[in-house]
Amino acid sequence: MVLSELKVGEKAEVEGLLAESGVRRRILDMGLVKGTKFKVLRVAPLGDPVEIFFKGMYLSLRKNEAADVLVRKIGETGDGAPMREGRGGRQSGS
Amino acid sequence: MGMRREIRVALAGNPNSGKSSLFNGLTGSHQKVGNFSGVTIEKYEGYVDHQGYRIRFVDLPGTYSLTPYSPEELVTRKFLIEESPDMVVNVVEGPNLERNLLLTTQLMEMEVDLLVAINMYDEVEERGIEIETEQLRGLLGCPVIPTSAKKKQGLEALLDHVVRVFEGDIDIRKNKLGFRPEVDGAIREITGLLRHEPDLSRFNPHWLAIKLLENDREVYGLVRDYPLWLKVERVLQRVLGETERLYRTDPEVVITEDRYAFIRGVMQECVLTPGEGRVSLTDRIDRIVLNRVLGLPIFFFIVWLVFQLTFTLGTPLMDGLDLFFGTIADAVSPLLVNETLRSVIVDGVIAGVGGVLIFLPNIVLLFLGLSFLEASGYMARAAFVVDKVMHRFGLHGKSFIPLITGFGCSIPAIMATRTLKSPSDRLATIMIIPFMSCGAKLPVHILLAGAFFEPSVAGNVVFGIYMFGVVVGLLSALLMKKTVLKSESEPFVMELPPYRWPTARSVFWQSNIKAMMYVRKAGTIILLAVLLIWVASNYPKNPAIDAALERQIATIEAGELSRGAKDVAIADAENSASAEKLEYSVAGRAGRLMEPLIRPLGFDWRIGVALVTGLAAKEVVVSTMGTIYSLGETDETSPELKTILKNDPVFDRATALSLMVFVLLYIPCVAAIGVMRKEVGTWQAVALYSGYALTAAWVFSFLTYRLANLFL
Repeated sequence: MVLSELKVGEKAEVEGLLAESGVRRRILDMGLVKGTKFKVLRVAPLGDPVEIFFKGMYLSLRKNEAADVLVRKIGETGDGAPMREGRGGRQSGS
Repeated sequence: MGMRREIRVALAGNPNSGKSSLFNGLTGSHQKVGNFSGVTIEKYEGYVDHQGYRIRFVDLPGTYSLTPYSPEELVTRKFLIEESPDMVVNVVEGPNLERNLLLTTQLMEMEVDLLVAINMYDEVEERGIEIETEQLRGLLGCPVIPTSAKKKQGLEALLDHVVRVFEGDIDIRKNKLGFRPEVDGAIREITGLLRHEPDLSRFNPHWLAIKLLENDREVYGLVRDYPLWLKVERVLQRVLGETERLYRTDPEVVITEDRYAFIRGVMQECVLTPGEGRVSLTDRIDRIVLNRVLGLPIFFFIVWLVFQLTFTLGTPLMDGLDLFFGTIADAVSPLLVNETLRSVIVDGVIAGVGGVLIFLPNIVLLFLGLSFLEASGYMARAAFVVDKVMHRFGLHGKSFIPLITGFGCSIPAIMATRTLKSPSDRLATIMIIPFMSCGAKLPVHILLAGAFFEPSVAGNVVFGIYMFGVVVGLLSALLMKKTVLKSESEPFVMELPPYRWPTARSVFWQSNIKAMMYVRKAGTIILLAVLLIWVASNYPKNPAIDAALERQIATIEAGELSRGAKDVAIADAENSASAEKLEYSVAGRAGRLMEPLIRPLGFDWRIGVALVTGLAAKEVVVSTMGTIYSLGETDETSPELKTILKNDPVFDRATALSLMVFVLLYIPCVAAIGVMRKEVGTWQAVALYSGYALTAAWVFSFLTYRLANLFL
């Protein structure tokens, strides 16, 4: 499935980017590479773009561009809070 | 006194890494703003004297990467290659080290002398994040210095390191990032081939090899014309086949993935992030600010708030400045015996420049607001909230930022469109920026709204004018996108930076830059325009009018009226003589010539004159009206322009509204046109635009005038 099909609150992992995507370079530079886990945080008030969270970064992209990102759903939390896992670095305590 | 030795240091870092705050903290007041050669991206330079050296910093534009994706990235790259600074300080955002390190890896690939400043270190400590800097230093192979621009910590240490690196006191190892074996092999092979071409020796062959594998068009262009290209191409083809077979993707993706793999390793080794129990401030704010229901109202409220603050706080300051210039004029007047000279200086220079400078408080306040929104992180949210609408009009959410900057001044706004990648998005945005009522048009709006509407309504009238400009602009963008600018729009992939309370210093600094731009304009173009207007509205002289006036005054004096009545009659005579003189002058004739064209809009020839001179700069519309109307007065101490306008028979509410609309929409000032020409590349496009703007201005002013006459 692709990123634009995810709902708010769902978590997923990037599987790849469509090779012909015009935004591939940009998406790669922003860190959405294969294996990156992210969560869909919210949709803009008017329904587009979407905001995702990963590696401490809040990234917004239009559904149009989100459709170029191949993903695998890995779960959902249901709320709008960013996920705490999948961040780089060791986790202390918890 | 011996010459200080210089160290040239470039500051590179992601947007929102606090790079500019650090630059400010390091260089204090020794700063200047310029442009990178050939482009209109602002270049901030500054220096600080440290341990006998003059360390010169260049603050490069914020970038996430060094691929040629955006003009900022190209500029950064070009600067590093062509200007070869002595070293690069890579400013990284401490609390979000992971994503900031991508740029670091790319700087490492360029094999520059690198220092990493982990900025916002105060926040790192506050959040309980532990960064093992010694480990990090080992992995990156370069000095790592914790800094906090906000708390002014680590700045001395950073400067010490700069000096030590320069003196060769610290060894920079220039670690090489390892990629997958197929790619590494190809890099070695290509590097070997490139070494044989002496023309390319000014580039680092290792870096060129990586860029070629990344399919970098710029670098392709550099290498393609040399005979060794055939061999290089063979290697590229081979490695493409290999990565396709092994990893089902191309080397570009492999290289980026491997950079991130390296970064992941660094993070694992060096950074300990506490399991965050509480929701971060940014999340809490965004739950409200980007809420599906509240998002848009909050957006409009914030924009409205910025404008309200600008005006309510600005007005008393404005009145103060007004008083100040009045005092100067009064003080200077008696000193100038020569009547012509006095008129030039008091009516021309002081009145003109003063009339322009009194709007400085408004401009400073507006830019304080805009800089605050930008630095706090809200500006990106605004783009997020409005992108759908902007996209519908064929624009990009990012167009919003240049457009809102256009409320301040079209010139920086037009320059700001460089963040838009697609040429058609850029062109459309540039073309509608002048419809966003700029700071210089504000004087016209304030004057007219203030003169013809009660104080309680005037603010809303000005707000309405601003909104009208936005609507006309958006519709024009749509029209352009549907007709002359049909093409793909730019993708929208944008970071929403974490909210931060901006340092007062950086907000004031930004605002100060804009204020200085405005003042410089006032001191040069506007002063010149004002003097030209003075000449144009005083020459050629017609002695017959003066003679007639003298005869008339003599007749009145000889008459049987009371002293008071005589004075009134003389004043009237002098008034009409002044008007006749102006009509006879160059400006008057130009205005007369165009009067038939603007008559349907409710304008007379005097407004025509103001509109023409307003091309020099929009605030000149006000100063011209000041000059024209106060010259038409008998009294040397000219009363407030507002009162004169209110009592002028030509002016009523409908005319005032019509004029506001015309000034809002017609061609921008010459300076903005110059910048526009530079950005769009051809005069034809500018001419086409000018025709469009004039037509739009005429049509909407006509409608405004007619409708206002019906309803007001």
